[in-house]
This record gives sequence, C-alpha cells and structure tokens, in this order.
Amino acid sequence: MKISDYIGLSFSNLWKRKLRTFLTVFGVTVGIGALVAMVGFGKGMQKNMTESFESLDLFNSLTVFPAGPAAQRFGFDPDDQAPVEKNPRGGGPILDDEAIKKIEKLEGVRSVFPEIRFPALIKFKDAEELRLVQVIPAKITSSKLIKLSHGKPFARDDEDSVILGTSLLRPLKIQDPLSVLGQKIEVASIAFDFSRFNPMNIASFLQERQLPFKKTTYEFTVIGVMSAIGFQGASPLPSDVLIPPGSAERIEKLPFANIWDLFRAREGRLGYSAVNIRLSSPRDVDSVKREIQDMGFSTFALVDQFNQIRTSFIYMDMMLAAVAMIAIFVASLGIINTMVMSILERYSEIGIMKAVGASDRDIQKIFFFESSSIGFLGGTCGLALGWAVSRIINRVINFFLAKQGLPFFEYFSFPLWLCLGAVAFAILVSLVSGIYPAYRAARVDPVIALRHD
Amino acid sequence: MDSKKIIATNQLCKIYSTGRVQVEALKDISLDIDQGTFVAVAGASGSGKSTLLNLLGGLDRPTSGVIEVEGKKISEMTREELALYRRFGVGMIFQSFNLISSRTAVENVELPLVFADVLKRDRRQRAEKMLDWVGLLPRRRHRPSELSGGEQQRVAIARALINEPKILLADEPTGNLDSRTSREILQLLAALNQAQGLTVVLVSHEVALAREFAGETIELRDGRVESRERVR
Repeated sequence: MKISDYIGLSFSNLWKRKLRTFLTVFGVTVGIGALVAMVGFGKGMQKNMTESFESLDLFNSLTVFPAGPAAQRFGFDPDDQAPVEKNPRGGGPILDDEAIKKIEKLEGVRSVFPEIRFPALIKFKDAEELRLVQVIPAKITSSKLIKLSHGKPFARDDEDSVILGTSLLRPLKIQDPLSVLGQKIEVASIAFDFSRFNPMNIASFLQERQLPFKKTTYEFTVIGVMSAIGFQGASPLPSDVLIPPGSAERIEKLPFANIWDLFRAREGRLGYSAVNIRLSSPRDVDSVKREIQDMGFSTFALVDQFNQIRTSFIYMDMMLAAVAMIAIFVASLGIINTMVMSILERYSEIGIMKAVGASDRDIQKIFFFESSSIGFLGGTCGLALGWAVSRIINRVINFFLAKQGLPFFEYFSFPLWLCLGAVAFAILVSLVSGIYPAYRAARVDPVIALRHD
Repeated sequence: MDSKKIIATNQLCKIYSTGRVQVEALKDISLDIDQGTFVAVAGASGSGKSTLLNLLGGLDRPTSGVIEVEGKKISEMTREELALYRRFGVGMIFQSFNLISSRTAVENVELPLVFADVLKRDRRQRAEKMLDWVGLLPRRRHRPSELSGGEQQRVAIARALINEPKILLADEPTGNLDSRTSREILQLLAALNQAQGLTVVLVSHEVALAREFAGETIELRDGRVESRERVR
C-alpha cells in the first residue's frame, strides 16, 4: 500500500464520522493548546529575563561588599538574601577610595563606582516623596546599565541634574514623562547639625527630644527618566532618583544610608557600603571575584544567581507542562475510545479487506494513519488555539498594565522548536494511543467478520 | 486424469473449540481439484462446506492436514504469506456479497489493487475494465445499496478476479438471489470457467442447480466426503 493510499483512506474514514472525529480532535486540540500556551508562557518569561539581563549588561557586573555582618545588608526580609560570597577571613579592610583604585587596576575590570545613597525628600510642585537618592557617575548613566526612556544621561559629573525613575512619576503626580524634562525639582537632605551639637546643653537637647540634624534643600533640573537600572546595590530597595557625584559632594548629607552601615564602621571610618564593578566580559567574573575576595572583600555576581534562576525556570516549565500533560492524557483516552469504536463499526470492512489480501501490517498501518491523522489535526489546531489564547491573555494583562502606566510586555514566546515539537508530540501521543486499537484491528478474524448473520 | 491438479488436500481436519465443546467441522478430507474445473461442493448446512472453502481461501488454518495450492503448502504459510496468497492466488465471493457499503462499485473493485501496490490511475482503469466485463460500467459510481442483489454479486466477482487469480471460491453466491438471477450468476461463473480456464469451487446447498453448471460435484456430510461425481 502506498502512503498516499493510507492518508486518503484515513481521512475518508474520519470524514465519514464527522462529529466524532471533531470531538476527538478537539480533545487533542485542547491538550496541545494548553501545552503550547503553558510552555510558551514559561519560555516567554525566561526569554524576557535573559534579554533584560543582557540589555542591562548584568552578566558583566559584580558587586563588592566590605566583609562583616552581611545578613542585614540586604534589608530585613530573610527571603530576600542574595547569595553573597562572604570572605572566609571576615573583618576585612574598609571599602574606600583606596580599595576602589586597587580594584580598578585588576584585569578585566572596565569601570568601578561606589554605591552612595542617602535619604532625601523629593519635592515636585505640591507632591513630596521620601526616597533614597543614588549617586551615579555620568559615564555610567550613558552606559547599558541605565536604561533611559526619556531625556538624556548626565553630561558631566558636576551638573545639577537629576534622573528620575518611572516608578517615581506617579507618586509625584507626573502624567507625561516628557513634560517633566527640564523642570526644577527639590531634593531636601538630612545632615548632622554640628552647631546644635553642643555638649554643654545636651541635657536640654535630649529633654526637648530634638535631634542634632538639619534639613537643607537643593534644586536640581530633571534631565532624564529611567525605566530600568542594571545593578543591585546594597539595599533591596531600588533607587529611583539619580544624581551625579560632583553635585552629590556639595550636598550635606548623612554618611550612611542604612543604620547597619554604622556597625561596620572601623577606626571611625565608614567606607562605602558597596562598590559596583563592570567587567569587560562575563568570562572575567570568576577571576576578578577571586582577586577581590583575596583583598578581603565579599562579592556578589548576578551571573551566579542567574544560573539558579534558570534552574528554577526549568522546574517551572516542567510544572506547566505537567498540567498540560493531564489534558493530553485525557485526549489520548479519547483517541483510544474513538479508534476502538471505529473497529467495532468497521468489523466486516476489516474482514473484507483481509479477504481481498490485506495483511495484518496493512490493517495496522491503516489504523495508525487514522489515529495519527487525529493527532496531526489536533496538534495543528492546538498550536493555533494555544497561540490565540496566549494573544488574548497577553492583551488582557497588558491592558491592565497600561492602566498602571507600565510599558507593553510580551509574556509568551513561541520558538520554532515549540511549534514543531507540539505537532510532533500530538502525532506521537496519537500513535501511542493507536497501538492497542491497531493491534486489535489486525487480529480481526476474517472468518468471523465475514460470517453473514 | 490427464489434467494438472491445482488444489490438493491431505487428511485435512478442522476442529472448532467453543468453550468446552469441540466441534469437528472437517474430518480427514483428502481431495484433488484439477485446474480449469468447475467443482460444486454440496451438503446440508453444518456439513463443513464453508469451512472447507475458508481453508482453501487462506482465511482460516486447518487444525491438521495439508493444503497445497499450485504446489505451495498454504497450510504452513505465515500470516503475511497467507495475505499474499489471498491477494494474488484466489478470489472469493460470498452469499452476502461483502461489498463495503460506503464505497462505490468501482472503489470496491479497486480494493484488492490498493493492497497490491498498483498506482491509483491504473487501478481505476483496470477496475472499470472489469466492471465493463461484468456489464456494470454504467453503474460504477453507485453504492452497493443502490444496486440489485445480482448486480452486487457481479461487482463482487469483478473484485475477486481483478488480481487475475487462477481460482475462484464461491460461498453460496446465489443464497440471497432469486432463481433467475441465481442462474445468471452461475452462467457467468461457468463462462469464466470455460472461456478463461478459471478453476471454480462453488459451495451450494442447491444441488440440482449446481449440477446444471458444474463439471463435478462433491458432497459433504458431517465433515467427510460422502460422494464425488463427474457430471460431464
């Protein structure tokens, strides 16, 4: 028998029982549709993450921390602790400008800048918000690490400019990010007021519950709006106000961003809470990390964490696929049922085919082609269904995201291997489902099948 | 006997086991059938004539004994070899015609060619030629339900002979037909036998009718050959 004969025969047989064929194919369609949508979602999330890592140059970044009590460094949420590789020696040197100079000389290091943050009150027109202001050199704001959605990066390190994060726009009641560019914004910082810090009247000082602090307000011009920042600082809170180091020096501020920083102070010096390093290539991560650890500091590389995340994505994919597999399993029972029914209906036809010379193998193949036709149809329709459903879900989610002022986000990804694999898998499942019916059809005894009743 | 034997059976036995009961359908049948003869196998129902035909047609296997057709021992063939034998070695027709009801006359006639790997174009051509030969070309696109009993049996004959076998096995082919149509069908079989030297084995319980056309009659009773007679 020729392949075209098998295909023609199976489709004409399926066509004879349209409703039953439709229902069985629909079962496979739902199963494959679920599989495609679920795996597509998993792959989409993974792709998004990898792409955002790559676009922010995160695989090239390394953060250095001074050795010491690291637990508090990442805030207060025990689940939020990143895998900081602590220096085994402990109690290491201070992370200061001298250390930065040493790190800058290491091979593979492209740029180094310290993590400086201070709390400040941000005022724009009537709105005010309390934020951690982060100091970022001009050259970093023009690198891949900072993604600007509007405006431009700092031109110099001493300009009185500020870059705002998109997350700050809403609290400051800014509707259009373009409208804020060029506008003045006030940054009020807290600093020690040494004039009030007179030991003579410290008693009255404490009685009045007055703290030796003063608040100073500085004016900045909004130069850019940032949508993403590509490094993890010492705090789990992302900073959404950036200023260049030159103007930061002029601001009177507290020398620490976090009360825990004070515990690390040694010999009266604080040093930086963290230092961000950009490397020439992800390959340099391990060697630079080792050298910095030898200097007595702790390090954190996102690339290490990314591998962990990737593993958890594999688990997520497996979970999603397992859910879809239940639907496919049910669909395969439908195929078996349809095929067995078909044998009972065509019992005498099978007998006739055997009487005119069909071999067991011919009959088996006829039934295998029929079940795989169901799989092929179900797989193709399932692919279309999964794709269509994912489009709808994506639209709905993005509709609500847009309401929150967030940009469009693609949640699904359908690589070619997934599309082809889904159809191939549907055919495979239907072939497996067809094994028992095909075997049974081949064993039909023509004498019994042809016996006239 | 001067002519060459085409079918030979030796001590052929067939026992059906249904639950605890064993039914001996055929007992020690040893028969020779010469090439080009028209043999009628007669007997009461349950005498084993259909069983014999199914064994000769390769649809069933004997419990013991040997069947040789054209020198090949079909009783020792594998299932695959038997399928090939049914495809090319014999043609069979039945009382209930056994056409596939969802297929047209020409599609039914084509069916054996599908399994014989014949190209689609050639299949249609050969099937139409066969239908023309049995006088049914104008009705080639009709389904079995749109054909009379006699027409259906002629379609079945066309199908049985499309792969040009040397033997035609007919199992009560006139059982569902009126006497005039029965006669027409038997005449057709006799013509095939005479014109093309086709060996015809006809199973029928209508002994008188069979005798009119057959050259030889074999009577079975309780699974044994009761008598064998040359009519002409």
